[in-house]
Amino acid sequence: MPRPASPRGDVIRVCNRRGGARRCCSCCRRRRRRERGLEMASATDSRYGQKESSDQNFDYMFKILIIGNSSVGKTSFLFRYADDSFTPAFVSTVGIDFKVKTIYRNDKRIKLQIWDTAGQERYRTITTAYYRGAMGFILMYDITNEESFNAVQDWSTQIKTYSWDNAQVLLVGNKCDMEDERVVSSEKGRQLAEHLGFEFFEASAKDNINVKQTFERLVDIICEKMSESLDTADPAVTGAKQGPQLTDQQAPPHQDCAC
Amino acid sequence: MAADSEPESEVFEITDFTTASEWERFISKVEEVLNDWKLIGISSGKPLEKGVYTTGAWEEKSDEISFADFKFSITHHYLVQEPSDKDGKEELVEDALPLPVQDLLCMNNDFPPRAHCLVRWYGLREFVVIAPAANNDAVLSESKCNLLLSSISIALGNTGCQVPLFVQIHHKWRRMYVGECQGPGVRTDFEMVHLRKVPNQYTHLSGLLDIFKSKIGCPLTPLPPVSMAIRLTYVLQDWQQYFWPQQPPDIDALVGGEVGGLEFGKLPFGACEDPISELHLATTWPHLTEGIIVDNDVYSDLDPLQAPQWSVRVRKADNPQCLLGDFLTEFFKLCRRKESTDEILGRSAFEEEGKEVADITHALSKLTEPAPVPIHKLSVTNMVHSAKKKIRKRRGVDESPLNNEVLNTILLFLFPDAADKLADGFESRTSTSAGNNPPPENEDYNLFSQFKSAPSDSLTYKLALCLCMINFYHGGVKGVAHLWQEFVLEMRYRWENNYLIPGLANGPPDLRCCLLHQKLQMLNCCIERKKARDEGKRGSMSDCSPGGTSGDTGKGADHSGENPDKDKEVGKSWESWSDSEEEFFECLSDTEDLKGNGQENGKKGGAKEGNKEPVNLKPEGRLHPHGKLTLLHPGEPLYIPITQEPAPMTEDLLEEQSEVLAKLGTSAEGAHLRARMQSACLLSDMESFKAANPGCCLEDFVRWYSPRDYIEEEVVDEKGNVVIKGELSARMKIPSNMWVEAWETAKPVPARRQKRLFDDTREAEKVLHYLAVQKPADLARHLLPCIIHAAVLKVKEEEALEDISSVKKIIKQIISHSSKVLRFPNPEDKKLEEIIAQIMSVEAIIARARSLKAKFGVEKCENEEEKEDLQRFVNCLLEQPEVSVIGAGRGPAGSIIHKLFVNAQRVSAVPPLDEELRRSGSSEERRLNMGAVSDFPPPTGREVILRTTVPRPAPYSKPLPQRMYSVLTKEDFRLAGAFSADTTFF
Repeated sequence: MPRPASPRGDVIRVCNRRGGARRCCSCCRRRRRRERGLEMASATDSRYGQKESSDQNFDYMFKILIIGNSSVGKTSFLFRYADDSFTPAFVSTVGIDFKVKTIYRNDKRIKLQIWDTAGQERYRTITTAYYRGAMGFILMYDITNEESFNAVQDWSTQIKTYSWDNAQVLLVGNKCDMEDERVVSSEKGRQLAEHLGFEFFEASAKDNINVKQTFERLVDIICEKMSESLDTADPAVTGAKQGPQLTDQQAPPHQDCAC
Repeated sequence: MAADSEPESEVFEITDFTTASEWERFISKVEEVLNDWKLIGISSGKPLEKGVYTTGAWEEKSDEISFADFKFSITHHYLVQEPSDKDGKEELVEDALPLPVQDLLCMNNDFPPRAHCLVRWYGLREFVVIAPAANNDAVLSESKCNLLLSSISIALGNTGCQVPLFVQIHHKWRRMYVGECQGPGVRTDFEMVHLRKVPNQYTHLSGLLDIFKSKIGCPLTPLPPVSMAIRLTYVLQDWQQYFWPQQPPDIDALVGGEVGGLEFGKLPFGACEDPISELHLATTWPHLTEGIIVDNDVYSDLDPLQAPQWSVRVRKADNPQCLLGDFLTEFFKLCRRKESTDEILGRSAFEEEGKEVADITHALSKLTEPAPVPIHKLSVTNMVHSAKKKIRKRRGVDESPLNNEVLNTILLFLFPDAADKLADGFESRTSTSAGNNPPPENEDYNLFSQFKSAPSDSLTYKLALCLCMINFYHGGVKGVAHLWQEFVLEMRYRWENNYLIPGLANGPPDLRCCLLHQKLQMLNCCIERKKARDEGKRGSMSDCSPGGTSGDTGKGADHSGENPDKDKEVGKSWESWSDSEEEFFECLSDTEDLKGNGQENGKKGGAKEGNKEPVNLKPEGRLHPHGKLTLLHPGEPLYIPITQEPAPMTEDLLEEQSEVLAKLGTSAEGAHLRARMQSACLLSDMESFKAANPGCCLEDFVRWYSPRDYIEEEVVDEKGNVVIKGELSARMKIPSNMWVEAWETAKPVPARRQKRLFDDTREAEKVLHYLAVQKPADLARHLLPCIIHAAVLKVKEEEALEDISSVKKIIKQIISHSSKVLRFPNPEDKKLEEIIAQIMSVEAIIARARSLKAKFGVEKCENEEEKEDLQRFVNCLLEQPEVSVIGAGRGPAGSIIHKLFVNAQRVSAVPPLDEELRRSGSSEERRLNMGAVSDFPPPTGREVILRTTVPRPAPYSKPLPQRMYSVLTKEDFRLAGAFSADTTFF
C-alpha cells in the first residue's frame, strides 16, 4: 500500500499498529474543518477495543452502550437494529455483549460498536467499568414496568459518575407496542428526559418502531457535540497564537482515524 | 508614450511597449497590486473617533513584487472600519481632499500607545508600504531611492489611488520611509530626517517651529497659527524603595529542620525577580497654540506636573524567572529522559552479584513451582532487596542522590501511617477509610476527573509533588529514580506485610484517575483481600473450625512464594469471609434440621442425573435473609449468600479484556463464547446461593438475582381460592440456556471455598512488576496530569488573592484545554508544552500584579474609594498597553507616581550631580538641572506634532494641511513631515 510521507512520526506508528487499514493518512490531513467533530470522535474512541482484526473498513468508530434494568428489552432492541430480527425471548445477557453496525454520515463510514449490558443489579460493577470508553448511551426502560422507569434516575447518576463528561445519552421507553399494559405515560417519560437533559424516544423492538431513529439520532448528537466542543475549544487553546493553532487542531485526530 | 512613435498603424496587433523595461514592469506590477486590493478611487470613511487607533483592529495584507531580481514586499496596513452608509453622498463631493490628507490634521489619535510607526508619525488610518523583502536588503543609494519614489508617484498617478504609498529606504532598523499621496489637485509628500545626534537647535520647541515654518515656506504674513501637541516621556527604572520581596527559596533551609511534610505537598509560586522593569510616564499637552508656552534653550514652560494629560505604561521583564513555571518545565523535561531507574542509580556495578542470587532463587522456584510461572516473583523480590542493600552500601562510599533526612521526611509525608506501622495495620486502615469519606463536592476537588490525574488528597498526587520537588532541588533525575525505587520497595513491603497503602480511596480502581493511581488502588485491593484472608486463617485456626487445617496449608503456600496457580487449591485458600463466617457458625444448630433437603435440589433444576453433588446438610455462607422471601419448596427463608466480589480492574486490564471479548466477533457462537467467558461470576454466585440455601431451585435463585424473570400470577385453583402461582420467564425457560446450564453445573460451595475469581497474589505481583519497570520518564508522564492539576490549583489559589478577571478567564481556558489534551492516553508533547506555557504566563501576570500593587501601595491606601480606584488602575496597567492617569499629576495615582520619581531622583541624582553636569553638554540637561534637584529626570523622549493649514506652494494655492512630527530620544532624532502642495495652482 503506497503511503505518502507523513510529516508526523506518530502517524506512521499508529498506522502500523492498526495494520490492515486501507486508507492512507493523507486523506485525514486534508479533511475539512466541519468534519473535525467526527475525527475527534474517533480519537476519543481509540482508547478501547479498536484493534479487532475483522472489518477494518471504516472511517470512524463510535462505541455505544445500552443500559437499563433487567428485561426491558435491551438485547431485543440491539438485535432489531443490528440484524433486523426479533425473538420474543433472548437469553438473559451475562455480563456484556456487543454487536456491530456500520452506517454512513457525510460520506464517512461510521462503525458502531454497540455494547449490550446485563441489567441485573449484580452486574453493575462489571458493566459500569465499560462506561468510561463509551461515547453514547441508550438508557432504556420498559413502559409496562414502573420499576424500570423509576430506576432511570439511578442509571443516569451512574452515567454521570462513570462516563466521560461529554458522553451523549438518549432515553428510550421500549415496548411501546404493548399499549394495553402501559404504566408509564409518554408524557412522564418526556418530562423525565427533559429533566435529565436527554433526548427521548418511545420505541418498540418488536414492531420496529423508532429503533433505527434512536441510533441515528444518537450518532448525530455525538457528531454535533464533538464538533461543537472543538469549535468552542479553539479560541481557548491559545489566546494569542490562534493562527497556527487552528491548523494544528486538525492534526491530532488523524492519528486515530482508521488508517 | 511608445504609441506615438508609430505613425502607420497598419498592424492590427498592438505591441505594448510600455512594459518593456524592468522599471516599467515594476510600476505596472505595483498598479496591479493596488488594483487587486481595490485601493483605486476615492477613499471614503468617517471622521476618526477618539482613540479608535487603539481600540480598533488593524489588519494587513501583503504581496511580493520585484524590480528586476530585487524582491520587494508590498504591504497594505489598514484600520478595520465599518463600511459607511454615506458612500454615495461622499462621492458627490468632488475635489474633496483625500482622506489621508484630512487625517493629517485630526487630533483624536495623537500618540497611539500601540501602532505602526507610520501611524504614530503621520496619523494615517491606511497606507501601503513597499520594502525590501529580505531582512538585510536595503535601498541605499540616492538615485535608487529616487527611482522608487518616482515609481510610486507614477503608479499613484496612473491608478488614481488615494492611499498613501511609502517606500522604505536605508537599513531597516532606521525605519526610514518616504512616500506620497495624491488626490485631485493635491499631492502630499512624506519626508523624513533621521539622525543619531541631535542638532542643538532642535531640542526644543522653538527650534522645531522654525524648521517647520521654513519647510512650509509660506509666503503669507502673518502665518496662520500652528497647533502643537507635545508629549514628554519619563522613565523610571529605579524602584529603590520597593525592592522585590521574593527571594529564591533557600535550598539548604528546606533540607534542614524546617522541612515539614507540608512543604513537599505544595508547589512554589511567584517570580524571583521583579517582573516589572520600567515605568514610563508620558505627560501630554494635547493641544497648544503657538505662543502660549515658551520652550527654548534656556527656559521651558513644559513642567510635567502641569501637563493636562498623564498616561503610564509599564515594561514587563521578558520571561521573569518564576518558580512554578520552572518547576513545571523541569518536571516536563523528565519525560524525555531515556534512562531506566537502574541505569541512573548505577546498577551495573553489582550486576554480577545480583545474577548469582537470581540463579539461586530460580532454582528454588523450580522446586516449589511445578508449572512455569510467567513472572519470577521470588527472584524479582530478591533482586530488589539486593539492590536496596547494594544501594545502601554504595551510599556509604559516594553520595546517594537523596540524603537520608530528605528521604525520610518525604516517606513520612507520603506514608503518615509509617510511624505506627509496626503496632498494627489498623491505623492505616482507618486512614484509608477516612479518605473514602464522600469527597467534598466542589469543582476544584473534582478537577481530577477532568484532568485524569488523582484526587488532591491522594498518595499519587502527593507523590507527584514530591517527585517534582526532588527533581528541582534534590538531585534531579537521580533523586527521582532514587525516591521511586524506595517507593516501589515500600509498596512491596506493604504487600508482603499486609499493610494497606494510605491515601487511596477504597474500592476498585477509579477509572477517572491516571493509570498509576489505578495501579496503586489495585494493589490496595489485593492487600485488602490478602489481609482479610490471612486474618481469617488466624481466626479460624483459633476457632479450630473445619477450615482450620486447610487454612494452615494455604497460609504456608502463601508464604513460600505466592503461587499464582491456585487451581489445585480450590476450597483451601478462600478464607476471606471468615469474619462473617464466624457469625454464622453459631447459627448452625438452628438449621440442623434441614435434613435431606439436598435431594430436592434437582427437582426444578432440569437434568437430574447431573446432580451428583453430595447431600448438603448444613447451609453455609449466608449473608442475611432476603426480606420475607422463602424457598419455594422447603419453605425455609431465602438467604442471600455471601458472594465473591467481582475482580477489580484497571483501565489497561479492562481494555485488554474488552479486546478479547470483541475479538470473538458478532456471530452467535461468538456471543455464546463471550457469555461463557463471563459466566464465572454467575456460576460462583449460584454456588454460593446453593450453599446458603440447601434445597433451593433455579426459581429461587432467579427471584433473588433477576426478580423480573420470575413471573407471578394470581390463579384461582380448583377450590376457588386465589393463589399466587409463579414461573420462570420465557427467556429463562429456553432449553439449555446459559443460566440453566450454569445452574446445573453449580455445586453448593460457599464463596470462601470457591476458586478465587480474583487472584490477588498474581495481580499484586503484576502491579509490583509494573511499578518496578517504570523509568523516571514513564513516571513523569504518568504523573504529569497530577502536576498540571496541582499547578492549576496553585494558580487558582494565588489568583483568588488578587482577583484579576483576565487571569480568571485564562485559567478557565487552561482547564478546558488541559482536560481535552489529558484525556487521551498519550498526549502530544507540543500540547503539553502549550499548557505549561499558559500556566507560566498566568503566573507571570499574577506576579506582575503583585509587583505593581506593592509599588503603588494599594494595600497601604486607607481611603476605600481611592483604594478601589488604585486597584482598578493597577489592573488596567496589566491589561492595557497604556493607561491614562485620572487627574494627571494631581490625582491619587498621579501623586504616587510623582513620589516614585521624586524618590528615585533624590537617591540617584544627588551624588553624581556635578559629574553629570560637567559631562552633559546638552542644553536640555543643563536646563533641567538648573534649580535644585528636579522632581523628574530629563525626559527620555520628546515628541512634538506641529500642524497647520496653509496654501502651498504659492500664496494663491489652495490652503492645505501640513504636518510635522518630531521625536527626540537620547540617541535618535527624527523628523517626519507631511507637506501638501496644490498641483493645480502653483
